Amino acid sequence: MRVSLVRQLLLLLGLAFLPAIGQAIYYRQTTPWEKQPADPAAVSLTTAENWGPAVLWVDARPDEDFARGHIPGAVQLNEDRWQDLLRGMLVIWAPERKVVVYCSQRSCNASHEVAERLRKEVGLTNIYVLQGGWEEWEKARR
Amino acid sequence: MGEGAAMKGGFRFVVRQTLAVIVGAIFIYAGALKLLDPLRFATDITNYHILPWPVAVRFAFYLPWLELLCGLALIFHRLFAGALLLTGGMMMVFIAASIAARARGINVSCGCFGSASHSLSFAGHLALDFALLAILFFLWFATSAERRA
Repeated sequence: MRVSLVRQLLLLLGLAFLPAIGQAIYYRQTTPWEKQPADPAAVSLTTAENWGPAVLWVDARPDEDFARGHIPGAVQLNEDRWQDLLRGMLVIWAPERKVVVYCSQRSCNASHEVAERLRKEVGLTNIYVLQGGWEEWEKARR
Repeated sequence: MGEGAAMKGGFRFVVRQTLAVIVGAIFIYAGALKLLDPLRFATDITNYHILPWPVAVRFAFYLPWLELLCGLALIFHRLFAGALLLTGGMMMVFIAASIAARARGINVSCGCFGSASHSLSFAGHLALDFALLAILFFLWFATSAERRA
């Protein structure tokens, strides 16, 4: 039984390698193997602040984080309550405004998810993601 | 008495097979979605802050195939015990990583079901993962009991 189970595990683990290697070879030229590609929509805090009132800040963090503090004037839009919050955001959105989405910190990806959905599902343009997120904003205010 | 036991055994078999097909199909679906966009999956892995990019991108090419293969093994009942162990292991690692990320204040997208999982909250994701894990445990113990009998 134990030998059989080990054999099954090795067989499954080994079999998965074959198509994976094939796919990796197929994508070898277009895959950044050593370094994560930079997001072209990422924007620094300084740049976003220089845009002044044209910026519409969108907070993609969970409700409790937003309640604890957020960038002044920011509207909340997270994936937990997407439909409810989207309506509120679209009320104050205008085509000429630059939408800057942020989440907790550099590592979070809620802002990227929200930005992508705004582009793909809602069809908005001028969507950016704040580098460093809320953490960067707080650091700049200390 | 004999007939009743046979019916009970038959019912258990149907339940086990149905659950195996459901879980297998979920793993095939999840694997296939990731196969279509390995870089996106690599980004999702990196967001957990456990693996560096060079490792994450290699895993992103490998794990979806493993999920797909295990899903097929569960559905067609081939290499069944191995597939149960691997899928259970993957689920446990994923649940632990999700909880650890959340505890560190990282809002991660699991990347499990592509855009289909957008509407699920963190609690929803976790509930789904624990449900899958519970089914995998059930299948493991049911199959072990059957082998012993």
